[in-house]
Amino acid sequence: MRTQGIIYQLHVIWACARKDFRVALTDRLFTILGLFVPANILIMMSLFVLAGSKAPTAVVMQDNGPYAQAFYQAMSRAHSFSLQITSATEAARKMAAGQIVAVVTVPPDFDTHIQLDQPVQVGVEINNLNTDFTNDIRRAIPLSITSFYAKAFPNLVNVTTRETDLYPHDTDYIPYLAVSILVIALMMGGTLQAGMASAREWENETIKELLLSPASRLAIMLGKMLGALLVGVGSTVVVLVVLVLFLGVVPEHWLELAGFTLLSLLIFNSLGTLLGTLIKQRQPVIALTMGISLPLFFLSGAFGPISFTTPVLQIIAKIFPVYYQIVIMQHAFHNFSLNTLGLPGNLLILGGFAAGLMLLVTLVLQRSTMSH
Amino acid sequence: MKNKAYSQISEFFRATWVIMLKDMQVWLRQPVTLIATVAPAVILILVEILGAQAVGRSPVALVVQDSGPEAARIAQAIRDANVFRLQEVDSAQAQVLLKNLDVVAVVSIPAGFSQRVVAHQAATVDVTVNNLNLDFTNDIRRAVPDAITRYYAAEGDQSPVKISMDEHDLRARDIQLFQYSVLPIVILLLIISGLITGGNAAAREWESATVKELLLSPVPGGAIISGKVLAGFLTSFCLGMLVLLAASGLGWIYPQGIYWLNATLVVGLVALFGASLGVAIGAALRRIMPVIAVSINLSFYLFFLAGGMGVLAFEPEWLQNIAAFVPLTYGTHALQMALFYNSADLLGRDVLVLGLSSLAALALGTVMVRRGMAK
Repeated sequence: MRTQGIIYQLHVIWACARKDFRVALTDRLFTILGLFVPANILIMMSLFVLAGSKAPTAVVMQDNGPYAQAFYQAMSRAHSFSLQITSATEAARKMAAGQIVAVVTVPPDFDTHIQLDQPVQVGVEINNLNTDFTNDIRRAIPLSITSFYAKAFPNLVNVTTRETDLYPHDTDYIPYLAVSILVIALMMGGTLQAGMASAREWENETIKELLLSPASRLAIMLGKMLGALLVGVGSTVVVLVVLVLFLGVVPEHWLELAGFTLLSLLIFNSLGTLLGTLIKQRQPVIALTMGISLPLFFLSGAFGPISFTTPVLQIIAKIFPVYYQIVIMQHAFHNFSLNTLGLPGNLLILGGFAAGLMLLVTLVLQRSTMSH
Repeated sequence: MKNKAYSQISEFFRATWVIMLKDMQVWLRQPVTLIATVAPAVILILVEILGAQAVGRSPVALVVQDSGPEAARIAQAIRDANVFRLQEVDSAQAQVLLKNLDVVAVVSIPAGFSQRVVAHQAATVDVTVNNLNLDFTNDIRRAVPDAITRYYAAEGDQSPVKISMDEHDLRARDIQLFQYSVLPIVILLLIISGLITGGNAAAREWESATVKELLLSPVPGGAIISGKVLAGFLTSFCLGMLVLLAASGLGWIYPQGIYWLNATLVVGLVALFGASLGVAIGAALRRIMPVIAVSINLSFYLFFLAGGMGVLAFEPEWLQNIAAFVPLTYGTHALQMALFYNSADLLGRDVLVLGLSSLAALALGTVMVRRGMAK
């Protein structure tokens, strides 16, 4: 008798999942958008990442002596500039057109001054649009000066830096950020699909039939979440193809990636189901899901460990699962540990989020009624 | 004859007004959509403000293991550089801070540093950096030499470093990152609000089949389109101006006199562009949900392509070329000029592009609505 009951509930779960999967596929435009939303997010955010790494800078070489050349070489090694040698007129034109953000002028008597140990000024014109970008340039010139002296006059300027890196190689902006973007893409895709599937039942009033049927509400909820999970897996595959094949970001731990993706989808599907059951209308569910995703991305330590940011942001970020998901995904892709909780600690918290949200959905669904 | 013309014009405006009023009332009755429209912009601004303190100033542990005068001077130069959030600790504490990710790097001035400097021997400032992200790593790589340059500069004429920087800034004032981000976010708010409000107002008529009543009524088609565009325009315009007023009150932007007028004109044009495009999308898709999905995706694409979160001049050339075809680029530029620098630099170009884009979107909206009505 009990076995029959379990089989029945499993049947309900599968039937609900299959129905939602099929319905999702019937709304073509929305399915296409839903399926490609995560990939869209990845592309859009990557556009943002393209800026900021190196300042496009014109160098006007009014002296071509060996010291001037050495100074130019020092600038090119400063991790900050995308250099192009131009004439003063061309540099001014490019600056006016907004194609470059700085003009460095090496004066005509640069080598002579250096040889005679006399002071010499390097002209730096900066398009000081905002301090974050401008300060990078302001600090990169001293770096170039120090590097120049360290190489040209090692006995004269003897204070230098000796760098030790914690990781054997640097991780560039895109490989790092792409992982955070993957998480936010999973959030958008997972919440959207599950939220739509739940709200649709209320909008079309088919929830009546479901609630009046002998199926348990838990089974209905699990079925709906499974349906959304299947669509979510499709979206994830699209994003991963872009990530691995086009951006060249290959995970170090594939099994972790698979497991963490499923856990993330489970959380976001629960969140979507909860939103759909509470709001009961698809339109606000879509708007809300898309509306909160971008701010959550910025809030949850997408750009680096949140311990590097302000204490207020750290506290707020820890309220949301997105932060912990970014931490575990960075481990799966780059083997990074972004907080002191370790993988088990982060997974435990995420498991708590998943269980809590599923419990909440069940409770909300238990208490849900529909007026006739 | 004259009376008839007057009556027709009056009828046109009355119908426009009624349709606009109805659409705005429907908009106000959907608080969740309203919140979802405003939330991204407001939360983004809040996140920018809360994180502003940390931008460009990485947390760093400073360990001074030498008690000589040169070590004290270099340590002071590091403090004065004002590029780190410094914690001065001993070596063991520094390692704990680095391990716990409380600091990006440990800067150590080793024992014997002063002696080596005085003896003209190579003296290093040791930097152990958590290089998990090039953004933070490069900040450290730039900041420590900056401090070393300051250390030498303090020697004045005796300094062996004879090269100095003669800086000229193109703009009169520096703008902080969070201030800089406010204006593209206002533009994002305007475009999302315009597209969703205008799009929903149009699509709703088809979805609920009320378009039949509108078509059968003696109201001119132009009034229906105007009313819907006006509803989207007014809601977006009011939201945009509210954010600008709040930003001005908080001292994030510095508009004066006539430049308020420039900013208002630009906000109005972007709102008109968004609302007109929204009506076109709504009339083309005729269902609210695809309209919302398309609107939000399109808004974010336009926002990012217009250099929303970065600085266009830092983007690769191909992206700058694409941005030149995105009307929001000109809206952001005009607002920056008016509200940060009290300048009308290239205002004519910006207004022309925005005006033409709005007209094109309006024409597209009219064609789409008329095509929908004909079916």
